Amino acid sequence: MNFAPLALYVAAFLAYAWHFSERQPAVGRSATALLVFGALAHTFVIGMQTMEVGHLPVNGPTSAISTFVWLLALAYLYIEITTEERAMGVFILPLLVLQVIPAFQPGVEPPSAVLQGPFFSLHVSSLLLAYASFALAFVIGITYVLLFKEIKAKHLGFFYARLPSLQVLDRMNQRAVVFGWVCLTIGLIVGVVWAGQYPSGDPRVQAMSLRDPKIFVAVVCWVVYSFELFAARRIGWGGRRTAYLSAVGFSIVLLNFVPISYLLRGSHSF
Amino acid sequence: MHLLLVGLSHRTAPVELRERVDFQGRLEPALRALAARGSAQEAVVLSTCNRAELYAACEDVAAARADLAAFVAEFHGVDRSAVAPHVYDLEDLDAARHLFRVSAGLDSLVVGEPQILGQVKEAHTAATGVQTVGPVLNRLFHSCFAVGKRVRSETGLGSGAVSVGYAAVALARKIFGDLKGRTVLVIGAGEMGKLTALHLKSQGVQHVTIVSRTLAHAARTAVAIGGASAAPWEELDALLAASDIVITATGAATPILTRAHVEAVVRPPRNRPLFIIDIAVPRDVEPAAGELEQVFLYNIDDLQATVRDNLARRVNEIDRAEAIVSEEVGKFGAWFKSRGVIPTVVALRQRLETIRLSELERLDFKLRALPPEARARVDEITHLIVEKILLTPTEQLKGLGDTETAAVYSEVLTRLFGLGDATDRDSSEATPPADATADPEGRVQPFIRPKARPTRSGR
Repeated sequence: MNFAPLALYVAAFLAYAWHFSERQPAVGRSATALLVFGALAHTFVIGMQTMEVGHLPVNGPTSAISTFVWLLALAYLYIEITTEERAMGVFILPLLVLQVIPAFQPGVEPPSAVLQGPFFSLHVSSLLLAYASFALAFVIGITYVLLFKEIKAKHLGFFYARLPSLQVLDRMNQRAVVFGWVCLTIGLIVGVVWAGQYPSGDPRVQAMSLRDPKIFVAVVCWVVYSFELFAARRIGWGGRRTAYLSAVGFSIVLLNFVPISYLLRGSHSF
Repeated sequence: MHLLLVGLSHRTAPVELRERVDFQGRLEPALRALAARGSAQEAVVLSTCNRAELYAACEDVAAARADLAAFVAEFHGVDRSAVAPHVYDLEDLDAARHLFRVSAGLDSLVVGEPQILGQVKEAHTAATGVQTVGPVLNRLFHSCFAVGKRVRSETGLGSGAVSVGYAAVALARKIFGDLKGRTVLVIGAGEMGKLTALHLKSQGVQHVTIVSRTLAHAARTAVAIGGASAAPWEELDALLAASDIVITATGAATPILTRAHVEAVVRPPRNRPLFIIDIAVPRDVEPAAGELEQVFLYNIDDLQATVRDNLARRVNEIDRAEAIVSEEVGKFGAWFKSRGVIPTVVALRQRLETIRLSELERLDFKLRALPPEARARVDEITHLIVEKILLTPTEQLKGLGDTETAAVYSEVLTRLFGLGDATDRDSSEATPPADATADPEGRVQPFIRPKARPTRSGR
C-alpha cells in the first residue's frame, strides 16, 4: 500500500464532509475529483502489484483489504456518477480510510503454493466484490435509517435536506445486496468446489469445514443476506428493517476481515 | 449609457394597481411600444403577479425616467397620477443590485420562492425575441441568471417548502422519490384536499381518486382537479390498499381512519410506504396510526410547523444570499464602469496607431533601402512601443472606480490627445505629414535602432 491513495482518500473524505455540511457544488466536484485521483493512484498501486505477482494481490489479509477498498471506491464512484448523488460520500469515505490504514504495509505477501490457479482468483475476487457491495449496502442502510427517523419523527432537518429520497435509498440498498449476494454465492460455491478438487495432501485444505471461523462467518453472512432478500420480497419487510439487516450483515463481514484475519489463525489463513 | 429601472412591486403598490399594470402575456407588444418611444436604447419588461418593472439602458436618465413611468400608465390606460406615487426608480448599479436581488428571490413576497428566476428568464427571452436587448441589458441579465443560480446552489434560501401544499409535495418526494406512477387517494371533497391534490398532480402524479360520502361531490371535485376519478365510499378499503399517498380532508367529527384500519392496509406483503396527509380539523386519522412501520402520518399542524421551520431557515440564509448579490454587483459594476471609458480607450489607441502608420509612411523612402525582414521588424517594434505606451493608461482607465472620475479622465485624454474630432484628424494626418514634422524628426531614432537589432541577433 502506498501513501498516495491514502492521502487522496483522506483529502476526499474531508472534501465530502465539507460538501455535505455546506452544500457548495464546487466543493462536491473537487471531492469527486479527489476520490477519482485516489482510486486511480490505488489502481496504479494494485496494477504494479499485479504485475509483480502475476494475479490480483488478494492473498493475505493486507493486500486483500487493499483490493477490497479499491473495489469499494470504484463501486461507490459508479453509484455516484450514475445517480449524481454525492451525499453518500461522507459515509463511504471513512470506511475506505479506516480499512486502508491497517493495510499499510509495503509489498505483497508471498503467494502460497496452494493459492494458484483460476479457482483461487475467482473465489477471492468474487468474495471481495461481495463484501464491497455489502459495505455500500451498509452505508446506504445507515443513511436510510437516519432519513427515515427524521421523517417519522416529523423533525425535518439536516439529513432531510441532504439525502436522496427513501425510495432511492431503498432501491440502491436492494441492488447492492442483490449484487453482493450473487457474488458471495459464487465465491462460496467456487470455494467448495475448489477445496473438493484439490489433491488432499495439504492439511490446511483438509481442515476446511464449517468449524473454520472464516468459512463459518461467510456462511452466516450468506444466511443473513439471503434472509434479507427473502424478507424484502416475500414477507414485505420494507425499508428500515432491511436497512438494519444490511447493517447486521456488514458488521459480520467486518468481523471476518479484521479480527479473524489478524487474530484467529484458523485454517483459512494462508 | 446608463441603466435605469422604473417599476412597481408588492412593496410599493397594492394588488388592485398591480393587477391593472400587469404586462404578463403582453410582453412583446409592450416591448415594441416601448422601443417605438425612443427614450431608451435597450429595454426589458419584467412582469409577475408581484411586480411590473422596466429595465432600460439609456443616455438621458431624467427623460427616460419620466417617459417610462408615463409608458406604464399609458400602455394600460391607467391614470398617470394613480400610478406615480407607487413607482420607484433606480439607476445604474442600484438598478443592477435590485434585479440581482429579485432574481435571487430576495425581493419576493415569499423569500426565496423559485418561480421568479424563470420569470426573469422569460422577460429576457421576450426582449431578445423583439430585439430590444443590447450589450448592456444582455450582460445585466446574464449576470442576474448567474446570481439566481448561485444563490440557489450555494445557499439554502430557496430550500424547504413554504406553503402547506408544497410541504406535502416535498415530503412525498422525499419518501417516494419520483412521484410519477404514484397513486393518490383524496378522502373528502373539500377545497383543501383539492388544492393539495392539485399540487401533487403538478408533480407528475397520474392517478388521483376522490372518495366522498356523497359521490356527486367527489365527482365534482374530480372534474375540478382534471384527470381525476371519483369513487363511492364503499370502495374506501380497496382504494386505500392501492394508494401510496392519502389525503384526508373530511368534516367528520371522529376519525375515519383508525389505527386498526391503517394496519390492515399496510400489512404484508405490501412493503411500500404509505404517506397520510391529514389536513382535516378535527383530525381524520388516529394519531396512533403514525406509529406503524412504513406509515408516515402528517397532520396540518405538522405541515405548518415544517413551513415555519423552513421560513426561519430561509431568513438565516438571507445574509449569504445578499453577499453573493453584492459580489456579483461588484463584478458587473467593474464591467459597467469600464464600459464608459471604452470609447476613449479605442480613440486613444486609434490615434497612436494613426501616428505610427503615418510616420512609417513618411519615412518610407528611408526604410525602402532596408531588406524586407528589417522593415518588418521596424513595423513590429513601432507597434510594440505603441502597445507598451497604451498598456498602463488602458488598465488605469478600466480600473477607475466611479463614472464621474472616468468622465473627467476621458475629458482630459480627449483634450490632450485631440481625440474629440478623431475622424477629421485621421484623414488629414494620414495623407500629408505636414504638421509636427519638425519635432518628430527625432523619431528617426527607431529607424536606426532596428538596424542595431539585426547585428545584435547576428552575434
